[in-house]
Amino acid sequence: MKPEVLREFDGYEEVVRAIELSRTHGVDYTPDKDSPEPYIRRLHPASLHLQIQDVFVETPSTKTFRLVSRDGPLPPFQAGQYISLVVEVGAIRTSRPYSISSPPNHLGHYDVTVRRYPDGLVSNHLLDHARKGDLLEATGPAGEFYHNPLFHSKHMVLIAGGCGITPFRSMIREILECGLDRTVYLFYGNRDAGDVIFHEELTDLAARFDRFHYIPVLENPPPSYTGKTGLVTGQLIREILGDLEDKTFYVCGPQGLYDFCIPELERLGIPRRRLRREVYGTPSDIRRSPGWPAGLDPDTPMAVKVNGGKTLATRAGEPLLACLERHRVAVPSSCRSGACSLCRVKVLAGRVYQPPGALVRKSDRKHGYIHACVSYPLEDLDILV
Amino acid sequence: MNDYDAVVIGAGNGGLTASATLARQGLKVLLLEKHNIPGGCATSFCRGRFEFEVALHQLSGLGTEAKPGPLRGLLNGLGVAQDLEFVEMTDLYRVAMPGVIDVKLKADRGQVISELQKHFPAERDAIERFFDLVYRFAGEMLSAVYFRDPEASRSKYPTLFRYALRTCKDVLDEFFQDPLLKTVLSVYWGYLGLPPNRLAFAYLAILFFTYIEFKPFHIKGGSQALSNALVSKFLASGGTVRFRCGARKIETENGRVRAVITEDGERFPCRFVVSNLSPIVTYLELLEPGTVPEQTLRELRGRSVGPSAFVVFMGLDRDARTCGFTESTTFIVSHTDITEKPYNQMRELETGNELMVLSCYNVADPDFSPPGTCQASLVTLKFGEPWLRVPPSEYFATKYRCADRLLRTAEKVFPGIRDHIEEAEVATPLTHMRYLGHPGGAVYGFEQHTKDSLFFQPGRASPIQGLLFASAWSGDCGFQPTLEAGHGAAKAILRELRAGG
Repeated sequence: MKPEVLREFDGYEEVVRAIELSRTHGVDYTPDKDSPEPYIRRLHPASLHLQIQDVFVETPSTKTFRLVSRDGPLPPFQAGQYISLVVEVGAIRTSRPYSISSPPNHLGHYDVTVRRYPDGLVSNHLLDHARKGDLLEATGPAGEFYHNPLFHSKHMVLIAGGCGITPFRSMIREILECGLDRTVYLFYGNRDAGDVIFHEELTDLAARFDRFHYIPVLENPPPSYTGKTGLVTGQLIREILGDLEDKTFYVCGPQGLYDFCIPELERLGIPRRRLRREVYGTPSDIRRSPGWPAGLDPDTPMAVKVNGGKTLATRAGEPLLACLERHRVAVPSSCRSGACSLCRVKVLAGRVYQPPGALVRKSDRKHGYIHACVSYPLEDLDILV
Repeated sequence: MNDYDAVVIGAGNGGLTASATLARQGLKVLLLEKHNIPGGCATSFCRGRFEFEVALHQLSGLGTEAKPGPLRGLLNGLGVAQDLEFVEMTDLYRVAMPGVIDVKLKADRGQVISELQKHFPAERDAIERFFDLVYRFAGEMLSAVYFRDPEASRSKYPTLFRYALRTCKDVLDEFFQDPLLKTVLSVYWGYLGLPPNRLAFAYLAILFFTYIEFKPFHIKGGSQALSNALVSKFLASGGTVRFRCGARKIETENGRVRAVITEDGERFPCRFVVSNLSPIVTYLELLEPGTVPEQTLRELRGRSVGPSAFVVFMGLDRDARTCGFTESTTFIVSHTDITEKPYNQMRELETGNELMVLSCYNVADPDFSPPGTCQASLVTLKFGEPWLRVPPSEYFATKYRCADRLLRTAEKVFPGIRDHIEEAEVATPLTHMRYLGHPGGAVYGFEQHTKDSLFFQPGRASPIQGLLFASAWSGDCGFQPTLEAGHGAAKAILRELRAGG
């Protein structure tokens, strides 16, 4: 609108005066004067530069790595969250999420507790080669597996299998050390007595705090063992807890634990809103994953064309992210379980298999976006990274 | 090879429509986005079996197929309307003040007037006259401003000339006595970022008019569906998009843009740059010091950064009706002060009894979440600054405390909803700062005082030739205005190309 017309508007002079006043006495936007960037980076650093301060042997197959920061304070986290360690194994740069096993009230270090998996690329590398003093890179704390006071009960029932104890150790230590108003039941299933991580510490805490109940469960108990045996069944849970109302259940462990325990809890009538489960990586045997095409050999060779350029060799059973990392195509990742969406890429041509439970947005599915960490090529692919 | 006609920085609403419009006209366009997903505010995220809508509450300006609004025309023109499914919301809004009032307005002028008259019989005539004014004002605004009547004059547009530069509160005071009625009529300030005593009446009038005439809408799949559809159309038109790739510098030569340099250090020569970022970041961080004339920086100092938002996202394990969500949009009100109190409340960190809106998308779209569930988001506006004073170690506790108080207030209107939460996530102004990268985590750009209204501000223009703006920062806030801003910037580039060859 022309200025001479605008001048006729009621209140025009007043607005012009206000504009002049605001420009004279306004905001100084000089860069970095009050930039929120450093604050945001305190909570969500782009990456963490860590050093191994100590290594503790927990069991024959498990070590805890105590990590300290080389560049400023470690960001706060919620007990149960994980960091993703970035490692170079041979020519492959990859990452793995590890729950922080130390409590958030000890922010001088993060502990991560690593168990050996028979074919685990990263776990074997860390357990065999990582030494005190080594430098490690990691992504900041993330994940949705924590006590949310908005709707979780103060009465927490934790169900762990094997290495799934790690987020719970952080939660339990925080609750007991900080005197939080919560009660905790921990059901901890293991195959053999020698597999149990943090057993002495947990036994000791249970003896000292009435609010913490520790129920170890062994599949193959030694002869002198007097505790609970077998699996963590619904029957056992009911027997120990009695009343199942007003309790939030948290499950963390290997895939077998979810396959067994979740149906047990559902049979006990625990609604989804009181049942939290940690994500657990890719299926251990993709052929057994629901919806995997019958008869498709995971070793079937496939090719992936990236950004219209080079073509990478892969096989049907290899997650796309692993293939990209093997060929040194950089894609950020964190959870490696299909949840965090960091490794979102677009498929221009070809079909992929995605196991149930991958948290892909509805419109992403429609427009061909996938989470590379839990996508398997069913055909040769053409993707946009 | 690396040369582009235009580089668009940021894949928010404005960046997306700008890129799609330019690419469809055959220009070689590069779209840069810092995040790994397009949309900016227009996005969603997943938790458990829920996909949470981040920003879209009521899409304005779309209109029905029979009576299309300006936005439908724009989306049709870009070829994305047919890829999307729009859901009409029949209700305008509900205002609930526990124990005081509960009024449900439909997107229908007659119903709005009669419903308000039922609750405020003493102001019967004034209500009628107020909506006459809203319609007259909007009509005059359309002809004089949007359709650029060259003969605009005071005698031709008396309502526009009289009311355009007044505040909402000023106009409400002229018509009404009851503070409760004034509160009920001005809750939409929550969509505009400034309380009624500071907000230009023009914005409220246009919002009422647009929602009633063209109806509020939602999109199946949420605003992410629109963002994804725009990117797909852009790619199909030959556009290039780079995610996880922000811009670091805009190079100029003799007062004209020459290239954009990315955070990875790649250089892309180009003739035009569309900035979907704030002018603050564009002028002071992306351009070399000394490039922007002192007069422009002085104008910038006159603008103030608007509020961010505090949001509680909830996935519930009961359907909408069982949870008590009968309307898509419920404004929850705890007091009827429309002077300085709401503004001061936005400036405080603590939450409790400020204006908040609860949107439940399942009311209009039962498929919005899995059968037997519904999802809702509870939003209040908060400035970012106080959150930068929270010690990082206190951040989570502060976030939950504020969310808890907000939820307590909502529970007074929707008793028992907390018992059915299956997933919940909280976004603070810091969350918005982190993901949007805007100063103060602002969700609506600059504050929209009367002095900042379209009559007085530079809009998409910049003093650097070839550099244009397209976002809430350069015009009005909200989905329709930002989508239009991108399209407008693209058309300006196309005009310049046609004129200059």
